[in-house]
Amino acid sequence: MANTETALKDAMTSIEGVIGVALVDYTSGMALGTLGGGKDLDLSVAAAGNTDVVRAKARTMELLGLKDEIEDILITLGGQYHLIRLLRGRGKSGLFLYLALDRGRANLAMARHQLKSIENDLEV
Amino acid sequence: MNPAAHSPMLSRLAEQRATGVLLRDTGALYLAEGEVVHAESPAAPGIEVLLTAGGRLSPETWQEAVAAAGAECATGRWLIEHRTLAAGELEISRLGALYDAAYFVLSPAAGGPSRFRHGVRHWFGSLGGVPVAAVEGETLRRRLLLESLWPHPRLDAAPVTVARSALRPAARPFLPRRQAAVLGLADGVRTPSAIAALLGRPAFHALVDVRRLAALGLVETPRGSTRAPARAPAWFQNIGDDPDAALLRRLRVALERL
Repeated sequence: MANTETALKDAMTSIEGVIGVALVDYTSGMALGTLGGGKDLDLSVAAAGNTDVVRAKARTMELLGLKDEIEDILITLGGQYHLIRLLRGRGKSGLFLYLALDRGRANLAMARHQLKSIENDLEV
Repeated sequence: MNPAAHSPMLSRLAEQRATGVLLRDTGALYLAEGEVVHAESPAAPGIEVLLTAGGRLSPETWQEAVAAAGAECATGRWLIEHRTLAAGELEISRLGALYDAAYFVLSPAAGGPSRFRHGVRHWFGSLGGVPVAAVEGETLRRRLLLESLWPHPRLDAAPVTVARSALRPAARPFLPRRQAAVLGLADGVRTPSAIAALLGRPAFHALVDVRRLAALGLVETPRGSTRAPARAPAWFQNIGDDPDAALLRRLRVALERL
């Protein structure tokens, strides 16, 4: 069982090519914790902005009547991957993990897998 | 919106690395070593509401934790040690409640004097604080977010009234579940804070939903008279002659240990 800081550190060190990571509350857009980032990527701004992405997708699914849940969302840029993983489980609904990766160095399948295990560590 | 509108007193206390509680008429902000460790406001559901209303903890477990460890200011640690909550989960709920209440405590509409009482600790126990600048920054970001959704701050404290055109369920457009739940509880009497407490959600989430619903025309936007934001009751603000019950309880615990 990890606290927020440990989970974020875990993501920063164990995932190859990671630029930054944040744990975000998606109703308010608040970053509960961020690590990495830097002057090229303001994680607090990215966190707030990506809440709109998650909300739009959740709304679309409800409109389509899809009785399913979003596990993750991938956004591919020229030089980066942005991965959004929605957290599930008791006391964690309404949160997502946000991961920015360097496209040249990252292994996407591996990153998704590791993000999943980090989510599980945050669980009870 | 003026970023400098925050309390200069708070910045000074942070510089002095003060420990104690800052009381304003919209709530209280607990500091330890100059960092914010807890916030309380009558407008925001407390952490006990957030944890129990969603069924995460039973009210009995909560009572037991407060009874066992409240006097020692270690309620949070008790919950973790007795494996009722995991450390990460507690931290997330605690941070959520802290920022939620701080939004109301630091609201620029708060009138009246700010007072600081040195040495007071919160009964929940502090598990790491948040820098004052981070709390102020987040509060400002939230205010700007609400402004961008629907610039009518009066919605925050006014009773939520369903617009007449939206009274027939068939007339409503498709709504996400969270907004539909808020609209379902709007009865013209409950404020967004009261709705949030019923749903076991942070009050700010209800403010966001109410602004969105008002922007869609489903909730009446109040016009005319200004309503003041919720004020803390007088007993809450009074730090005068009454004995500090929390301090006395801690004193008793310490004496019993001798």
